[in-house]
Amino acid sequence: MLEQNNGISRRSVLKGAAVGGLGIAAGGSLLAGCASKATGPLAYGARSVDAGPTAQNEALIAAYTAKTKNEVKYNATESNAFQNNLSQYLQGTPDDTFEWMAGYRMQFFAEQGLLADLTDVWGTIGDQYTDSYKIASTGLDGKQYFVPKSWYPWGMHFRKSMFKDLGLSADTVTNWDEFLKMLDGMKKKGLVGFAAGDKGGWEAMGTFDIINARVNGYQFHVDLMAGREKWTDAKVLEVFKHWEMLIPYMNPNVLDLEWDGAMQLLLQKKAGAMLMGSWFGGNFKEQSQADYDDLSIIPFPEINPEHGRDTVDAPIDGWCVAANGTNNAGGADFLAFAGDMEGVQATLDAKDKDGKSIPMTSANKGQDRSTYDAFQKEQMAVMDEAKYITQFLDRDTRPDFAGPVVGPAIQSWFKNPKDVNKIVDSLQAQWDALPPLA
Amino acid sequence: MSIDIELQKSATKYRNKQKVKDRFISALIGVFAIIWIFPIVWTFWTSLRPYKDVRANGVFSIPKALNLQNYFDAISRMDLPLYFWNTFAITVPAVFLTLFFGSLIAFVVSRYSFKWNVTLLLLFTAGNLLPAQLVFIPVFKMYITLGKAIGIPRVLYDSHWGVVLIHVAFQMGFATFVLSSYMKTIPKEISESAMVDGATVFTHYSKVMLPLLRPALASLAVLMTTWIYNDFFWALVLMSTDSKRPITSALGRLQGEFVTDYNLLAAGAAIAALPTLIVFFLLRKQFVSGLTLGSTKG
Repeated sequence: MLEQNNGISRRSVLKGAAVGGLGIAAGGSLLAGCASKATGPLAYGARSVDAGPTAQNEALIAAYTAKTKNEVKYNATESNAFQNNLSQYLQGTPDDTFEWMAGYRMQFFAEQGLLADLTDVWGTIGDQYTDSYKIASTGLDGKQYFVPKSWYPWGMHFRKSMFKDLGLSADTVTNWDEFLKMLDGMKKKGLVGFAAGDKGGWEAMGTFDIINARVNGYQFHVDLMAGREKWTDAKVLEVFKHWEMLIPYMNPNVLDLEWDGAMQLLLQKKAGAMLMGSWFGGNFKEQSQADYDDLSIIPFPEINPEHGRDTVDAPIDGWCVAANGTNNAGGADFLAFAGDMEGVQATLDAKDKDGKSIPMTSANKGQDRSTYDAFQKEQMAVMDEAKYITQFLDRDTRPDFAGPVVGPAIQSWFKNPKDVNKIVDSLQAQWDALPPLA
Repeated sequence: MSIDIELQKSATKYRNKQKVKDRFISALIGVFAIIWIFPIVWTFWTSLRPYKDVRANGVFSIPKALNLQNYFDAISRMDLPLYFWNTFAITVPAVFLTLFFGSLIAFVVSRYSFKWNVTLLLLFTAGNLLPAQLVFIPVFKMYITLGKAIGIPRVLYDSHWGVVLIHVAFQMGFATFVLSSYMKTIPKEISESAMVDGATVFTHYSKVMLPLLRPALASLAVLMTTWIYNDFFWALVLMSTDSKRPITSALGRLQGEFVTDYNLLAAGAAIAALPTLIVFFLLRKQFVSGLTLGSTKG
């Protein structure tokens, strides 16, 4: 169903060669056999201090300890701090297993020999996952370094009740013209059509991703992210041209709002639609069940018929094992449990402090989808329609490029869209100036 | 007679002029005071409002509810005792050691004249100019390498002592600078008579200079405490276990991965700022004199 390109450029081969020695040394055959052996106590590094994920982790760890008698030390760090400090964390005294993301963000550290090889774990649990997840868990050297936990899609979110009032339905917003017509209709009613916030610098990357995939297709997007295509290409300018058409329908204070400011517009019924990752459904649910039930998602409309709606940004979260940890075998053993349906079920059974279940779309094939609520089923539909899955701009390209370069570039484009030529020139110049990975 | 009246007149005129001037200055100070106080008042105001209300009605809406719930939530989520203890375990030794070493160097470079004493002072002061972000990678590598070399990986990295040491290293330049310029204001004759009386170098330092340094040390201690208390950077990059980090990183615990509940964060910030405020009000005098330390050369 899904494909992920792992095309290896000359550049990455060179990079691979440079760090190959390390990678092999770190990989090794530390895994002897399979799960539920006494592998000793281990440490778990959580990438979140939020209530929901914490409850899930605690349930998972409790189930693991009950089964194997291995003690697990829990070390939770706030996600931004964790992410910014990961390089130091992995080189220093990391926990044995830690929460991380699939795709380039994982490959980047795997190439530096900082992640332990999990090929043996995949040998045990691999048949519970579709190929697309395995590809997303694979490093450039063809070995697996990641075990997926869950995913969420990016798409157009709206409120069913507002769509009804406007005389719209999901089937009437499938291509660009219909989309612009919808936005026009919303504007005439005094609504913000396309709610957006980009104060954080990352929010608008999702918009770039999806327009690029719709206009130029999956392959171009992947190649652009990997540096095999140029930012100065006319195809990139085409993306910004389409994006510019949306500006009149956006709230004027895009750069003053973080993503949740944009969400508030939708929640307060001041905006008709918003492109965002579906994770924020939890916020609607927290506000009230009625708001959550009113929330709906459809794929971003088709722009170029050649590509249809064949791509979706659907970031996958999961775990890795740190090569510098003290108990690699224990970390791998834990992940063999966490990735197995037994562990997935323990995570799904977790309850928040009010005793409510925590919605999660698991990567494991075995999750009972009949338990999905309406919004989750719509997310699944968005996912099923797509042939290609991308992770998200800041997960698909070099970390030293996405945050420090692309983020501010898009922000300056918002300030003055006429500067687009200057902006793509500077993007390309800054990519070219990046040091080779070592 | 007329001269008298003239004088009186001009005096009244002058006084009136002065009054207008005073009023103008007061108004100006008032405006600045409002500008300065506004963020604090706004933080406090924000901390009283539930996020749910703000999310549904916007930041500038009239509040439906005002309560202290955010404070209770912040206290329970921040794990306050643990993180305050961590801050304590880092700040106290760091301040103590900085003052100790700083005063030793200041003593030597200002009381003894030898060939390199000015160079030595400059070296320490110059170190102060290096931004932390520039040197953190080498420091980090050094900590890791040392840990590996002696077989205890957490000897400096991911330990309170590692952070204490880096604070000492960084703050010592300023401490040396301030203490040495303060020492220069102490008459040389005191030192000379101490030496004539046969005091050893160490007695000279501990029995003569140190007591005289007390006001400077107190001011410096207050300043150092607030600086080290407010540090987040070193604790972040030199530690991997969150439960060892200081209170500044506990604030991060209130921040969600995607959602940031600013109302809760405001309550947390108010709590975290409290100790510095208390220290400030208790030691206001030292603080003010600390700010002007070294600004006039004796």
